[in-house]
Amino acid sequence: MRLHPAWVDLALVLAVLAGAGLLFVGASTLPPPRFEPMGSAALPRILGGVLVFFAMIIAIKAIVQLRYKQSSRHGSDETDGAADGSSVVNPAKDRDTDESALTGQLRGICVFTCLILYIVALDILQWPFIPVTAAFVTLVGTVLSPQRLQAMWKFALFGLLLAAGLFLVMTRFLYVDLG
Amino acid sequence: MLDAFITLFQIDNLLFLFLGTALGIVVGAIPGLTASMLIALTLPLTFHMDSVNAITLLIGQYVGGISGGLITAILLRMPGTPASIVTTFDGYPMAQKGQPERALALGIMASVVGGIISWIFLAGMSPTLARFALQFGPWEYFALVMMALVMLASLTQGSLVKGLMAAALGMAFALPGIDNSIGRARLTFDMDALLSGFGLLPVLIGAFAISQILRESAAPIKASAPINLPKKNLPVQFKDLKTFGPNMLRSSVIGTWIGLLPGIGANIAALVSYTTTRQLSRSPEKFGTGHEPGVVAGETANNASIGGALIPLITMGIPGSVTEAILIGALTIHSLQPGPLLFQNAPEVAYGIIAAYLVANIIMLFLMWNAVRYIAAISQVPRAWLLSTILVFCVVGSYAVNNNFTDVWVMVAFGVIGLGLELARVPLGPFVIGFVLSPIAEEQLRGSLMMSDGNVAEILARPYAMSFLFVALLTLLWPLIMGQLARRRHNTHQEPST
Repeated sequence: MRLHPAWVDLALVLAVLAGAGLLFVGASTLPPPRFEPMGSAALPRILGGVLVFFAMIIAIKAIVQLRYKQSSRHGSDETDGAADGSSVVNPAKDRDTDESALTGQLRGICVFTCLILYIVALDILQWPFIPVTAAFVTLVGTVLSPQRLQAMWKFALFGLLLAAGLFLVMTRFLYVDLG
Repeated sequence: MLDAFITLFQIDNLLFLFLGTALGIVVGAIPGLTASMLIALTLPLTFHMDSVNAITLLIGQYVGGISGGLITAILLRMPGTPASIVTTFDGYPMAQKGQPERALALGIMASVVGGIISWIFLAGMSPTLARFALQFGPWEYFALVMMALVMLASLTQGSLVKGLMAAALGMAFALPGIDNSIGRARLTFDMDALLSGFGLLPVLIGAFAISQILRESAAPIKASAPINLPKKNLPVQFKDLKTFGPNMLRSSVIGTWIGLLPGIGANIAALVSYTTTRQLSRSPEKFGTGHEPGVVAGETANNASIGGALIPLITMGIPGSVTEAILIGALTIHSLQPGPLLFQNAPEVAYGIIAAYLVANIIMLFLMWNAVRYIAAISQVPRAWLLSTILVFCVVGSYAVNNNFTDVWVMVAFGVIGLGLELARVPLGPFVIGFVLSPIAEEQLRGSLMMSDGNVAEILARPYAMSFLFVALLTLLWPLIMGQLARRRHNTHQEPST
């Protein structure tokens, strides 16, 4: 099932309002201007106000869209979904699309989780760069490859070479300590 | 200028330019990877380089990145970059008719001619514009930055409100850190990690590379489409220059002038030029069926737009697109302030950019002419290999900025923010440019208010500043004015019938 764009807009509005709130709270702790007319708190306040203004416009548009969608649904059950441009024609096809989208989203989440674990391993656990990078490339490559397990050893080898090469260049030539 | 060319022809500079152009062409040819992503990922490596070396490498990547897109646009109907979308209209049908070599030859020739003509504008206009911009004070700069931001946010495709909100959000993210005017922490919420603010590089890499990779990871896995690699030599003759001369000249001028305006970009330049060429053609019905002038118009304009976009960047420090914002970041990293003073303080860099742009176009011609079939083959590298490698580069690149992992976590956070913004159809361009321009806008506004003792009305006595603000206001109101005009025209047409 796809989320109506108006709901995404409302989520955006909430996030922006939270951000604007942070700007106002942060600005309230700043001292008033002393050596120059504008002061440090002016821009955060102005931007906070601008963000609230735009968020309100987007919220009003989103609510109007949702109400329109609701009224069109009540008006005609047969044309349900046509209001937002997505007419329900073939439920089986829709289910297939939803499933492949879900698989795609899962793949995206897997890659993101691998990335977080990779950084945790390097930063918090302070594991050595070469084996951790090789493992990371193997995992991400396997997740993204259509051949999966058959390609795993190729990714492992490639990851090892990439990690060793990067380690050499960064530490020897660019003086970056990769741990 | 001559000195700049002499410096550029030193072996190290030439090598970096060659390397940058080659990398740019390959990345530009791969659908999903963009020149801005490549430049953002290369930036950390340029820390240790001489500023001229660094800037030649990045200019090469920019030129190569835009030009490389034509290869897959013609051979696969998959534009490597958005700038080459128009090339698919006629380039792919030509390839289908068994003329991929001819389409590629025309595309490459058009790209180079577009680049050279826009270089003439860049070299001719930049020093004069920079001298003119020396008259600007803080009010003018503040108004100029505001104009660029508003134009960029308004002209970016999609909702105007979301474009403006993206710019405001980008500006807000640039606020945390030490406020230099008072030497006190601002919006850091007692977190030491925020004292130096969000670094430009982690923000750029996160917003462009990480969000793009996460989106690509979620896209369906497809087997690579079969590609018809060109077998024969690329056929182009001197008479083609004569035949397509007027088309290339017109498209170059369109591309350069569209490139000058912030926020429009190479893809719109190509589209406007294509449409104009079709409208002026005696056989407009042939466009879209594999008509040679269509390929020439699009490719000339998209390359010419780079030269146009570099003009406000080096003369006033105003980025026209995300790639230019990253180039501003590159100059800042090397302690160089883009703007009119760049020609006085670092002429080797200012003129170096201009010279590198011309030579990069010539290197691009050489590389594409001789290696197009190999580049086309590289563009077929499976996504799994590319994305996993780029992710490692993202982490290492962000870490290398300050040798700490805070920047890496910032990169991840901005990757998520970038992905979220794109899901909500909020454009990333104004967001990043707002982030880059916010400190400049604030500094100039505070400076101007100090100079005028807090009297905002002082701006009314500044004609240039007022003109910039007027253009910004006009850009904001333009959609409303056009809407009103269209409604009135519609009503007038309906009245006689009723």
